[in-house]
Amino acid sequence: MDDDTELCQLLSEYLLPEGYDVEAVHSGTEGVERALSGDHALVVLDVMLPDVRGFEVLRQLRAHSRMPVLMLTARGNEQDRILGLEMGADDYLPKPFNPRELCARIEAILRRSNGGSGIDVRVPGDLVVDDVSINKASRMVRRGGETIELTTVEFDLLETFLRNAGSVIARDELVRTVLNRPFSPFDRSIDTHVSNLRRKLGPGLDGLDRIKSLRGVGYQYTFHHPSGAGEQ
Amino acid sequence: MRLHIKVFLWFWLGVVVVSGTLVGLTELTSSRAQDDRLWREKYGPRVDLWARQETHILRTKGPAALEEYVGSFQADPGVLNYMFDGGGREVFDRQAPPSVAAIVGALMQADGWTQRVDPVERIIGERVIDANGNPYVVVVDFPQPSVLSRPLFELLSADFSGRPTRASAVRLAAVVAVAGILCFVLARHIAAPIDRLRLATRKIAHAQLGTRIERDVLNRGDELAALGHDFNGMADRIEHLLTAQRQLLSDVSHALRSPLARLNLALGLARRHSVAGVGEHLDRIELETERLNTLIGQLLAMARVDSGVGLERRSLFDVAALVDEVAMDADYEARARGCAVVVSGERNCLATGAADLIRGAVENVVRNAVRHTADGTRVEVSLERCEAVSGSTVVIAVRDHGPGVPEKIVPRLFVPFYRGPHSDKNPNGTGLGLAITRRTFEVHGGTVTAANAEGGGFVVSLVLPLHVEDGVLQQQADTRPTTEEHGNAITAA
Repeated sequence: MDDDTELCQLLSEYLLPEGYDVEAVHSGTEGVERALSGDHALVVLDVMLPDVRGFEVLRQLRAHSRMPVLMLTARGNEQDRILGLEMGADDYLPKPFNPRELCARIEAILRRSNGGSGIDVRVPGDLVVDDVSINKASRMVRRGGETIELTTVEFDLLETFLRNAGSVIARDELVRTVLNRPFSPFDRSIDTHVSNLRRKLGPGLDGLDRIKSLRGVGYQYTFHHPSGAGEQ
Repeated sequence: MRLHIKVFLWFWLGVVVVSGTLVGLTELTSSRAQDDRLWREKYGPRVDLWARQETHILRTKGPAALEEYVGSFQADPGVLNYMFDGGGREVFDRQAPPSVAAIVGALMQADGWTQRVDPVERIIGERVIDANGNPYVVVVDFPQPSVLSRPLFELLSADFSGRPTRASAVRLAAVVAVAGILCFVLARHIAAPIDRLRLATRKIAHAQLGTRIERDVLNRGDELAALGHDFNGMADRIEHLLTAQRQLLSDVSHALRSPLARLNLALGLARRHSVAGVGEHLDRIELETERLNTLIGQLLAMARVDSGVGLERRSLFDVAALVDEVAMDADYEARARGCAVVVSGERNCLATGAADLIRGAVENVVRNAVRHTADGTRVEVSLERCEAVSGSTVVIAVRDHGPGVPEKIVPRLFVPFYRGPHSDKNPNGTGLGLAITRRTFEVHGGTVTAANAEGGGFVVSLVLPLHVEDGVLQQQADTRPTTEEHGNAITAA
């Protein structure tokens, strides 16, 4: 979804040999309509659209669908990036982008959302830590009795945390396993994803944050039940 | 609030002084009137007696005896006794003042025994006819009563009735109380809109551009209302200008970057079909595209900082946590060369500002240091809190162990597009990084200085004012949504 028709044309040309079928839409309203048709595996969404802002498109999309969205943001605009990720975009790429990087990101997102995430799928079943449980097969997350809506990235992030509950996971490791891309310093998208997840999960049993930040090291998922993490 | 109290106290003082003077004057006049009455009752008959006595003495014993008699009671200071014969001649040939002459003139015209009193001048004159039938005029000129002495005497003397004093005290208290209430209301009426204007001005200064003066101030119909209207006009204009500026920056960014995005894609396509030998030229195109992109980004960042567009996203953030984050990322980069970035010093330094701009500015300096420090050395980042009269600041000193910079070009490092002597270390540098850093800190009320460090290396000092407890800012920081990002850093969402 981009109002730059020439760019769309070049992009289609570039992605076709990579095995992607590209449909270009140049306005937000039409874009939402097409994206919800169910014909597509992923949306590449530009923030600047002539009719509706990219964020509005994302909001409308997220109201009905959890299909993967990669946002193209203006470089140097931190606000766009944070807002995009907070509203449920799976990843973002500042414009102008390197087409190879775009390809790699699209691939990573698709790999994740198809269930074949970077983390090995062991036994299907529930992963439970304290009052939080996730089901890998149905991608359902429950806290106590209630269901929590998470984006694909947040789900993968939570799964990684629960599997390693109690131990410290380095930021670069999280970027590699969850976002499926090499870590680069000064890219703070993983922190935004973690803080979104932290907000959605709410405080832990002791009233403190479930996910602790360890400055200079990474993150740690804390638990309280003595038996700790376990699969049922 | 201070203005309110000040205006109130001045008004009140004014009213109290005026009413006090008024009450005092009334008191004095009424006591003078009473004094006049008493004087008249006392001396009217006496002058009559004296006049008879004097004419009798003059007729029977002669002027010398009269002089002795008059002298006996004229010993009182200021009391003068004149005696005129029928021809208007003063018996002792003394010169009479005009007020006495006037009374004498009037009495000369009268018939028989007559007494005339001038209470203002305190003169009593009497026309007497002696046994021989000769008319005489006796005039006694009394001294003026002291205006203050009597009320003071009344106030101090215990045996005086005290009635008028108590009445005036009650009167004065009532005036003070009523004046107090009225002045308080009046002072509020004047000071309250000024307070509101002040608050609104500060909000605008802190980038709450939607702030306007409310209708109730605008409807007053006085100069303060006019000021309010002017203020709103000014706020409209500022808001419009900043919105236009932001739109322009975003449009420029979009307009410049769209062709670059297409260029990148075309480059990608070209690589696919590239013939042997073209690859390195394509690499060159890619490198130059990247440089152009960086340059656009830096220019826009510069424009954004200068126009104050970024400052609209002010929030409260911890400088130490922000420096930690930057240092941590830089450390990751530095490890490739066996270097490290270490942070030391002050913790928990809260400041207000656009955290992302400050982060970018600090990042510029720290990454520069990492680039220039010698292999295997450490980049030291220290935070120090400085207390001054003008408020406390935090100094972030970033020190590398590199070759340093020739003394004479140190000041030029902050000039836009100037590239230092070791610019080969950063081929993609634009020469704008330090200029942006300095501008960013300046718009936040801070400073940036650079110098060669003792014992080799280079040190850049970033000074940022710390957060001051303040109603407006605090409230603003509280109401703004904040996102917690890695650790305790709070950035505007």
